[in-house]
Amino acid sequence: MALLTIVSQKKQIKRKAPGGFLKRVFKRQKPQLRLEKSGDLLVHLNCLLFVHRLAEESRTNACESKCRVINKEHVLAAAKVILKKSRG
Amino acid sequence: MADHNPDGDPTPRTLLRRVLDTADPRTPRRPRSARAGAQRALLERASSRRLSGQTKTIAKGRSRGARSIGRSAHVQARGHLEEQTPRTLLKNILLTAPESSILMPESVVKPVPAPQVVQPSRRESSRGSLELQLPELEPSTTLAPGLLAPGRRKQKLRLSMFQQGVDQGLPLSREPQGNADASSLTSSLNLTFATPLQPQSVQRPGLARRPPARRAVDVGAFLRDLRDTSLAPPNIVLEDTQPFSQPTVGSPVYHSLPCTPHTGAEDAEQAAGRRTQSSGPGLQNNSPGKPAQFLAGEAEEVDAFALGFLSTSSGVSGEDEVEPLPDGVEEAEKKMEEEGVSVSEMEATGAQGPSRAEEPKGHTQVTEAEGSQGTAEAEGPGASSGDEDASSKAASPESASSTPESLQARQHHQFPEPAPPPGAAVLSSEPAEPLLVRHPPRPRTTGPRPRQDPHKAGLSHYVKLFSFFAKMPMERKALEMVEKCLDKYFQHLCDDLEVFAAHAGRKTVKPEDLELLMRRQGLVTDQVSLHVLVERHLPLEYRQLLIPCAYSGNSVFPVQ
Repeated sequence: MALLTIVSQKKQIKRKAPGGFLKRVFKRQKPQLRLEKSGDLLVHLNCLLFVHRLAEESRTNACESKCRVINKEHVLAAAKVILKKSRG
Repeated sequence: MADHNPDGDPTPRTLLRRVLDTADPRTPRRPRSARAGAQRALLERASSRRLSGQTKTIAKGRSRGARSIGRSAHVQARGHLEEQTPRTLLKNILLTAPESSILMPESVVKPVPAPQVVQPSRRESSRGSLELQLPELEPSTTLAPGLLAPGRRKQKLRLSMFQQGVDQGLPLSREPQGNADASSLTSSLNLTFATPLQPQSVQRPGLARRPPARRAVDVGAFLRDLRDTSLAPPNIVLEDTQPFSQPTVGSPVYHSLPCTPHTGAEDAEQAAGRRTQSSGPGLQNNSPGKPAQFLAGEAEEVDAFALGFLSTSSGVSGEDEVEPLPDGVEEAEKKMEEEGVSVSEMEATGAQGPSRAEEPKGHTQVTEAEGSQGTAEAEGPGASSGDEDASSKAASPESASSTPESLQARQHHQFPEPAPPPGAAVLSSEPAEPLLVRHPPRPRTTGPRPRQDPHKAGLSHYVKLFSFFAKMPMERKALEMVEKCLDKYFQHLCDDLEVFAAHAGRKTVKPEDLELLMRRQGLVTDQVSLHVLVERHLPLEYRQLLIPCAYSGNSVFPVQ
């Protein structure tokens, strides 16, 4: 499943789920647990949504401070909010 | 109105006559589609009858007539505007136009249409003859068979043409007859050919000739590339004598991304002037283009710098090269910029002896690493501005004086390595670490590599997604911040999943746990189900794996 989407933003974003990476991270964190196959994809979906929310929040922060570039502070403030939301 | 189809009359005159006899006065304001169609039809017909040249003239000048011929219905719909009608203009033209078959060259056609395009505005206001001359110069799309300006514009253009002809007494100015027409046009409408190209661009932005604003830079890059390519081979040959050059050469190549000297050269130029994160990668890209020696050392230094500030966030700081570097991210960035500047300087000089270049380079790097950035930094930006060679040369010897030998030795080791790999390696910022710590016999240190690189590679995937979702330019520090956030997020994720699985009495994390997690996060609500999210954000292949679907044979995949 090579998932290479041509996006209108002149960037080719790979939509592939880095399965190996996710599995490795999970194993490193919780070696006693096991992750299912489709769980892999759902974790990737979760990461996508998290990153999406983070990006939206950072963008909002940057626009509010009228900066044309996203700064570290914007990301930091956004991360605080979104991490709190994603605690589950 | 009689529908007079051109019977293959070779002259526009006959056509005009026909038009005048039969055409009804029509307003220039017409739906462009009709006009276009009429013109096209006429054009096709004319061309079919070996009237290629006339087609254009007809199209542009006699669009009215053509339309009348082609689309009587449309023609009749039009009303007449002012006293000066196409009819009168045509009449004038007939009186004055010479009789001859005309094969208009393309070149003439284009300039001719140019003037017409501008006409519309003019025409609306008035039929000032002199005023129309200027618009006439503008390109008129009506002429081009493929281009059909709005009908209104065409009408106006044509009329303006006629007007011009009438005013200037030009005989069929719009009926170029081979080169003769062009010459006549040029003579009659002195300004016609001068400006048409310009206005043409207005009408057809695609065909516009952009001012070669960037040529200067490209030339410079090109020259630089030439220098680099010419310099690269000899350096490699020289470096072959070094015992450890080959392994280092090979390893960087594998790890480095394919950075061509071409891009490197360009990047060098750009990196010198810029101060953004792009400058970092640009600097690294520069190294490939530069002499291997310079680049090898520089690239490694750059890598060290890049790693330095990257590793500070990630916590990796075991490299020797990184040690001398201050952990300040800004410093690293500045150094990288300076590196790029000095690298570009080296590149520019090119001819400098490799050894000589190495030492100053290494020295500059070392001094920077040591922290004596005052002079180096000052020179770096100054050099980048343009006096790279002079200022950098002066700076490097000065800074070289106090370089510690260990760093020199390391740099000397690094210098012989080929340039491209270091730059490319730095790009990823992952192999950079091993590069810096590389000892002569071993191409790479395998210590931190396995742990950090794949992890960073995986994270970089999500970081790229972040920058893609953000749709705004971002700083490099912000991206590092995103990496940290992702790390924290993964920790939270694993903890939560563990809790959920334990709650369900399982040791395996199942999709139900994931769904519960997303529900608690607020992503999945009563209105938005998990399947909706899956459909929205995941590609089809993953969707098929996640969402059970019924297939033929009474089977469901995936099995529930």
